Amino acid sequence: MILLKIRNVTKIFGGLIALRDVSFDVHKSEILGLIGPNGAGKSTLFNVISGFHSPDKGKILFKDEEINGLRVDQIAGRGIGRIFQEPTLFMQETVFENVLSGFHRHYREPLWKAVINSPAAKREEAAKKEKAIEILEFLDLISASEEPAANLPHGHQRALAIAISLASEPELLLLDEPVTGMNPNETMSMIEKIKRIRETGITVLIVEHDMRAIMSLCDRIVVLNLGIKLVEGPPDIIKKDDRVIEAYLGKQAV
Amino acid sequence: MKLPNKGIINGANRYKLLAVSIAVAALLALPFCIENDYIKHLLIMAGIGAILGMTFSLLYSVGLVTLGAAAFYAVGAYTSTLLVMNAGLSFWAALPLTIIISAILALGFGAVFVRNAGVAFVVITLIFAQVVVIAAGQADFLGGWGGIIGIPRPNPLGPAEFTSKRDFYYLILAFLLLVVVVYSALYSSRIGRAWRAIKLSPNLAGTLGINAYRYRLLAFTIGSTTAALAGCFYAHYFQNITPGAFSGWTSIYVQLYAVLGGLEFYILGPAIGAVIMTFVPEYLRVVREIEPIITGVLLLIIILFFPGGILGTIRKFPNLSLESLNARVKKIGATLTGRK
Repeated sequence: MILLKIRNVTKIFGGLIALRDVSFDVHKSEILGLIGPNGAGKSTLFNVISGFHSPDKGKILFKDEEINGLRVDQIAGRGIGRIFQEPTLFMQETVFENVLSGFHRHYREPLWKAVINSPAAKREEAAKKEKAIEILEFLDLISASEEPAANLPHGHQRALAIAISLASEPELLLLDEPVTGMNPNETMSMIEKIKRIRETGITVLIVEHDMRAIMSLCDRIVVLNLGIKLVEGPPDIIKKDDRVIEAYLGKQAV
Repeated sequence: MKLPNKGIINGANRYKLLAVSIAVAALLALPFCIENDYIKHLLIMAGIGAILGMTFSLLYSVGLVTLGAAAFYAVGAYTSTLLVMNAGLSFWAALPLTIIISAILALGFGAVFVRNAGVAFVVITLIFAQVVVIAAGQADFLGGWGGIIGIPRPNPLGPAEFTSKRDFYYLILAFLLLVVVVYSALYSSRIGRAWRAIKLSPNLAGTLGINAYRYRLLAFTIGSTTAALAGCFYAHYFQNITPGAFSGWTSIYVQLYAVLGGLEFYILGPAIGAVIMTFVPEYLRVVREIEPIITGVLLLIIILFFPGGILGTIRKFPNLSLESLNARVKKIGATLTGRK
């Protein structure tokens, strides 16, 4: 089943064509890698999918419904979660509060009941807190749960960003460089976690420069270069593709 | 499942509860300890200031900075005055009507204003407050620049006749406690959490499905309606209103209450700031001519060198923090009861 369809998406900034006629599918429950040299348009594509930019041409369909033109929060509401490349957290809040913020769209009790703290709202809040603890345990952050997010080391901040996103229970998770800046041990453990996230049924679209991580994680890979889709296929094929090697290393290398 | 910290789930802090109870008891007993009517008047003014300061902090908690905090203060004062003097309603009937009318107006104006967060919002609120003052000054049915005099006092309610300062003190205290209770409930609910999320990172909040526009509008409406409540009290306490009472200076003072007390303390900050800003200038009156200069310089020093405000500065000293005070209280308690 196809979860996300990117159809002929073009995005132009001033005179610069950031994305030109890009089309591909993301299948349900797969890990799809999005790679390419700097300036290939990977982050632009993430911004277009999550609603920060609207495409100049083309369509994006999530579960066969058009989502381009919707606001960021509406797209999130459809079930697309995203972590940012730069550390984007509620820095002054505790780790625990950060994760609780992620549950926002899953509260069912009306707002006024939350304000008067009715028994039903209390139960709901307690249930969210239990879930937040599970998520923090899964990402090895439980011992830091009372720390302000700003005090965490880099690797833990990346993990917290994923924790917040998991709390929002997305069907599709966009990960922008989740292991960049991590040491090999942290990278290994993050790769295992992303695999386990997929096992829970969440589809993952991932941008990453760490090629070893990408090759061991992804079921399929889409390669972008200068805003154009170069090739897509399983990691073994991509590794050997001349056009990909050329895009990364220049013509002489081929 | 084992919880990492019981405080997370229970939230209730016994010492906080104790401190609040003592504070409320002290505020209730205060008029009996004070003979001087003028001090009572200052306390009443501090109460109004604290409420207005809390409305500033409410908007700040969602990342909006208003320079027009006095706008709906004026709306409340004029609406209630018109309802009582022209429509012949009693204060107690006009009060809920004023709240409803102000809420509708706040929702309408806010729907346009909060589209622009950031600097645009600051400028819009500044201009809006100015427009409200000028409109009141130009409109004959609002009394023009001379304002409206002879506004009736609230009708007697139970033992309160509203002929003494004490009765007004208790009325504003009741309003203040109402605001504190409602605002605390908001801040500790998921609404407050969404507000903080929008303030700290609008982008991340968006990707979690939080509709920043709607939550900003909610804060604007609640804050403006609260300011209208304070205005309603003001009109019937002073028994006269002029556009000048709601000028840009008032908005700036309201902002200063929150900044001076500590911007990150949404309830205690404005309360402390309002008390200090009401009493300190009064006691500087002995040097009448230069009082505003001294007050201004003091404020500059505080804002430049203690940007966290009074409470923010106190929190920086570990010995004075709430946690350390709690620990010391416990220790003393243990010594007194002979337990370890």
